[in-house]
Amino acid sequence: MRLILFIYATLFVSQIYAQKSDFKHLDFKKADSIALAYKDASLHNLSRLSYQLTSDLNTDAEKFRAIYKWVCTNIANDYSQYSKNKRKRYKLKDDSLELNGWNTSFRKIAFRKLVKDHKATCTGYAYLVKELSKYAKLECEMVNGYAKTGNTNIEKMVAPNHSWNAIKLKGKWYLCDPTWASGIQDPETLQFVFKYNDGFFLTQPKLFAVNHHPEDSKWLLFDQHQPTYQDFIDAPILYGEAYNMLSNHDLPNQMHQDVLKHETITFKYKLQHVIDTKKVHFLIDNGHKLMKATPKQINLKHKQLTLEHSFSSTGFYDLHVFVGDDIISTYTFKVTRLSKAKP
Amino acid sequence: MKTQLAQVPKQVSRILGLFTILMFTAILSNPVVAQNQTQVQEQTIKGVISDDSGPLEGASIVLKGTQTGVVTDSKGAFTFPKPLKVGDVLLVSYLGYKTVKVKIKTDTTALKITLAEDLVEFIGEVNTNTPYKSKRTKKNN
Repeated sequence: MRLILFIYATLFVSQIYAQKSDFKHLDFKKADSIALAYKDASLHNLSRLSYQLTSDLNTDAEKFRAIYKWVCTNIANDYSQYSKNKRKRYKLKDDSLELNGWNTSFRKIAFRKLVKDHKATCTGYAYLVKELSKYAKLECEMVNGYAKTGNTNIEKMVAPNHSWNAIKLKGKWYLCDPTWASGIQDPETLQFVFKYNDGFFLTQPKLFAVNHHPEDSKWLLFDQHQPTYQDFIDAPILYGEAYNMLSNHDLPNQMHQDVLKHETITFKYKLQHVIDTKKVHFLIDNGHKLMKATPKQINLKHKQLTLEHSFSSTGFYDLHVFVGDDIISTYTFKVTRLSKAKP
Repeated sequence: MKTQLAQVPKQVSRILGLFTILMFTAILSNPVVAQNQTQVQEQTIKGVISDDSGPLEGASIVLKGTQTGVVTDSKGAFTFPKPLKVGDVLLVSYLGYKTVKVKIKTDTTALKITLAEDLVEFIGEVNTNTPYKSKRTKKNN
């Protein structure tokens, strides 16, 4: 009985921590160099491309890596398509017939653009990863759901707005987001820039769920304490670099908090690797100006990072956590005086 | 002399005998050969790939289990680069369409295939490092 319990517990734990470190023994260098060798290959013959990317690799994890890396480094985000589709979908959200018609015509254009120009929106990325995996006999699924960034207007998020992938390796499912791994929108030029982010490859499901919520909850890959849609809506905003730096985001577990003046606020993170704590700072926006601030307390122990802060005046604040030049996360705080908190 | 004369009919009958055997084998084996020929005969396959709105340029046709294949031209047409046998399977695919399998039969020469779309709904959210900014109202400020 004890043995059974042990096995159960082991299965449970391993399920929860389905992440990249499971493949520590693989460095993916060979897979990455193969992906690079076939840069700008044509998408007309997917079966050939899939064969070229995977036939020299031995493990499924490496095969998938080569496909994923190729897609992330060869397909550009198509912003004009993206915003056009987003506007139209929102406009037609209550007219299913019209929306259907729009989807059909958009789908054709989208696939043509993907093949010809190597440009896509999220579904194009996820679809391509899935198709190339299929030719390499890998079990890969496209997952549709909700995702949020610092730019997402939550009130306008009426239907799924993002697609990503789940991949089965050694009998276990893993998550990845090829679109977000491929690069970001330059905040100044608003153009897409290729900037591969490894943090979205076989991401720890709990961290992934902070800003991804699948339509079908089985793709959360949680066994217990599954976050609800509301939990996802209320969650803080994490930026790309958070996925390179964190293995877990513990506190604050909500985007917004009502706090009192001088009340201590705790931030808690589990890190993937040790960082220079001197680089950790806050950027606080009170609606009029941006202020740089150093946390009251910084503690780093066994890759567990704890920060503390308190506000010395009342108001409404956006607080961004930075490590060096990289923005990690954002929270909002409404700070009140004790007497006003309980009228 | 006698012996020579006696040998002539012997040689004639031997030749005749051989000829008969040859004729027989030829007659008997001929249908067999003919049958075999149709079975191993290799055909050049041509075709046109389209979708519901017309010819598809850039669709790929691959011989199953190999890397041999061809891509359709601007008229959706192709000629497979290698002669194919009866029983060979071609995989016709194009990104965004469901892959079609075609088995080569004795009478296959020209293929006309219409691909059906994979009904994917396109969505997308872009990643950005632009910091979140609260919408300020009088209430929260």
